[in-house]
Amino acid sequence: MEIQEIQSAVKDYILKEFLPGENPDALSQSTPLITGGILDSLATLKLVSFLENTYGIIFEAHEVDAEHLDTLAAIANWVLERKSAP
Amino acid sequence: MNDLAAAAPAPGLATRLSESWLRSAPVRFLFILGQLGLLTIIIRQFQIESSAFLRIALLVFAGYAVHSVVPIAYRLPFFVLLSLGGIVLVMGLQTGAVLIAVGLALITICHLPLSIRTRVVVLLVVGGGLAIARAGTFEVPWSAALWPILASMFMFRLIVYMYDLKHDKAPTSLWRTLAYFFLLPNVCFPLFPVVDFKTFRRTYYDKQAFQIHQVGVNWMVRGITHLLLYRIFYQYAALAPSEVVTAGDLVQYLVVNFLLYLRVSGQFHVIVGMLHLFGFNLPETNRRYFLASSFTDHWRRINIYWKDFMMKVFYYPAYFKLRKLGETKAIILATLFAFGVTWFLHSYQWFWLRGSFPVAWQDGVFWTILAILVIATLLYEMKYGRKRVLSASTWTSRSFAVRTIKTLSVFVVIIVLWSLWNAESWEGWLTLWTPLEALVAQGGQLAPLVLFVAVVGNASGAGLGTTSLLGERARAVASTLIVLVFLTLVGLPQFYTKLGPEAASFILSIKSNRLSRNDRAALQRGYYEDLMRVNRFNSQLWEVYMNKPLHWLDVQDAGLVRFTADFAQSELAPSLISADSFSTITTNRWGMRDKDYEREPAPDSYRMALLGASATMGWGVEDGETYEALVEEALNRDLGDHGGYARYEILNLGVPGYYPLQQAVAVEKALSFKPRVVLYEATGQELSRATYYLAEVNRKGVAIPYPELRALAERAGLEPGMSEDEAQKRLMPFQREILGWLYAYLVNRIRAEGALAVWFFLPQIYSGSWEETVDPAKQLAEENGFTTIDLRGVYTGRNEEELRLVEWDKHPNALGHRLLAQALYREIRAEENRFGLRP
Repeated sequence: MEIQEIQSAVKDYILKEFLPGENPDALSQSTPLITGGILDSLATLKLVSFLENTYGIIFEAHEVDAEHLDTLAAIANWVLERKSAP
Repeated sequence: MNDLAAAAPAPGLATRLSESWLRSAPVRFLFILGQLGLLTIIIRQFQIESSAFLRIALLVFAGYAVHSVVPIAYRLPFFVLLSLGGIVLVMGLQTGAVLIAVGLALITICHLPLSIRTRVVVLLVVGGGLAIARAGTFEVPWSAALWPILASMFMFRLIVYMYDLKHDKAPTSLWRTLAYFFLLPNVCFPLFPVVDFKTFRRTYYDKQAFQIHQVGVNWMVRGITHLLLYRIFYQYAALAPSEVVTAGDLVQYLVVNFLLYLRVSGQFHVIVGMLHLFGFNLPETNRRYFLASSFTDHWRRINIYWKDFMMKVFYYPAYFKLRKLGETKAIILATLFAFGVTWFLHSYQWFWLRGSFPVAWQDGVFWTILAILVIATLLYEMKYGRKRVLSASTWTSRSFAVRTIKTLSVFVVIIVLWSLWNAESWEGWLTLWTPLEALVAQGGQLAPLVLFVAVVGNASGAGLGTTSLLGERARAVASTLIVLVFLTLVGLPQFYTKLGPEAASFILSIKSNRLSRNDRAALQRGYYEDLMRVNRFNSQLWEVYMNKPLHWLDVQDAGLVRFTADFAQSELAPSLISADSFSTITTNRWGMRDKDYEREPAPDSYRMALLGASATMGWGVEDGETYEALVEEALNRDLGDHGGYARYEILNLGVPGYYPLQQAVAVEKALSFKPRVVLYEATGQELSRATYYLAEVNRKGVAIPYPELRALAERAGLEPGMSEDEAQKRLMPFQREILGWLYAYLVNRIRAEGALAVWFFLPQIYSGSWEETVDPAKQLAEENGFTTIDLRGVYTGRNEEELRLVEWDKHPNALGHRLLAQALYREIRAEENRFGLRP
């Protein structure tokens, strides 16, 4: 699985679920999603649920934060890291 | 579609020029330093916050200058040293050292070679010991001033820190940990944002330094602006509940009561702005909270750091534990849990800051209702979604109108809830709504103004009407510079005195950090009562109370004042010696704080009786240091055996906490000692204080033994058990009549016993709104037959600090009593014949 694939899938999900009608080009891999106020707690938990279901990973509470979920890049990196962890 | 938005601005010429000019590092440094210099001048000119804050601001100015030239690898240690230096600078070497030592001990516990669980247990045990000490159960060898600051550094940050130690595998450095706990501005701000440790670490110099520093200056200026706006609302617009009579008063009360939160948002902006100067690119603490368009939006905006703290440590862990019950149930229960924790932690915070753990129904009701509203909004958003945007909003007329209505509705609900949270009592809150019918009736007249404000507010929040001349950053800098220059100029006497007397008086009034008229009255009541209100975070009063020892001059617990089953309700206990940290108070067999006298005056003696309250009794000064004792001593020294009477006596009938109407009872006691003169001590707010006491006795059901006063209460429409706020509202039109009745009663009783009735005015040691009320009371006294003596001006040339007991108790100290005695003695000697001082 490539990092770009994950970013693309997550981007599509976020645009469809939370930003319908927005210009896709405005959502870059470095757009701050949590610190920028785009994803509130409800949206973040929905995103977590999507990632868990799509990639078969399990989140823990302390992993739901800006470090792991603030940007598409951070999300993709985190997913890859979790998938490759023993 | 009607596109109301401006196009996203391209960087204008001004922006491009400014960015090229500011590319040079020395220029950038001087640009920031120059702004900081102006900011420091403003802080000094306007006496922003406290003298401790000015010291820290000066330290920040100098510290920033040095910090900017220190190599980046050493900036964090430099910041730590600066923070520790700030602690010593503000708290003194001894207290500062204790604070640092206790803090280091707590940090050490966090890093003991034990399991996380064990370390938490150790922290709880040590914390429990500190809590017992905080509650005053045993004496500690350090100043009480240490507690609020120690608490605000550790009470929440320890929780966050331990949480991150448990879950975060990234190593932490000693310097970063020390910087996190001993944050420089914390030493002068007991209310402090809950800085997240991970965010603190992650955002350290994560952008270009100049950018971070400039944002810091911008936010500090924004914070100062909030604080000055707060002062204006606090001094001029805040109403007491008893003053809410009309629909306009109700709206003013509700709106201004909420706007007092500007103090918190102002302080938080200043704090985080200061931290930016040292590279901590922390997020903003609140974001236009008055423009929230839903209750979840309000929760997200009003205190972002608290919200993030709750989410991280409580909400998400609870949700993840509960999600097997289903998403909706988990969200509801986790939200309820987070609000319950918020309620508890607010009281926990007040325990550390104030020393007592408040359990107030107002807190429970407020947080419960807010939780229900937030949950309802969450459920709605789960079902219907919430509009989110990536780029500058594209508004249509319809979407703007909908948002405006939502914002207005949320604002109205929040200010109503806020008023409930701040209410002294349920009855007091209900009396606020007396003009509700009138408000509804006048709704049509008020609606255009309200809508206009809502539209303008929403438009500014959406960035509508802004031009593309400057980019957002340049616009922020331009605003900062304009405000800095404006406030610097306005603060100069050479400038504001040229604006005319009214403008000059206004500017002068907001240049000081004094308590409002309502809070001064509460401070005075608070000498004798344990006021709940001082626990409300938006009152400046609680900061004065923060340093007050729990049992400060506790007259009731010491048995000095005892209950009487009459209209006065209390009197001084007889034959008592009570020693406290400030003085020894001795009462004679008659229950006077005075030496002993016979009931009958000796034929060759001259006797006066003095009716008064705590200042007359000599609150906080030694026996013999009261102004009454000093005047008596001077009369005996100068007149006794020098053509005067053999002995001069002044009987001190002052009782702490006495209101004017209680003197109607005290005068009988005075007259039983057959004085030639009865002196009545009047203080500021005679009219309102007379009214207040009548409201109090009405609520308590105390019998009023004076037919005229009873008839007056009936005419005012007082009902038995009515709340004091409602009773005061009804009595307000009768204030002059109530005080006039008292004065006439006293004069008639005194004259009937062949004595001279003298009204003398005892000023407060501080200037304030009480000064406006002196002349009406004095005029009333003269109209009813008193001889008057006015001691205003007795403290001219002195400042409050040298005359008061302590910061939280503004009774006159020994120097104040000496000045009063000299002035009163001069006045009495000048009226020697009228007083009949010589046989």
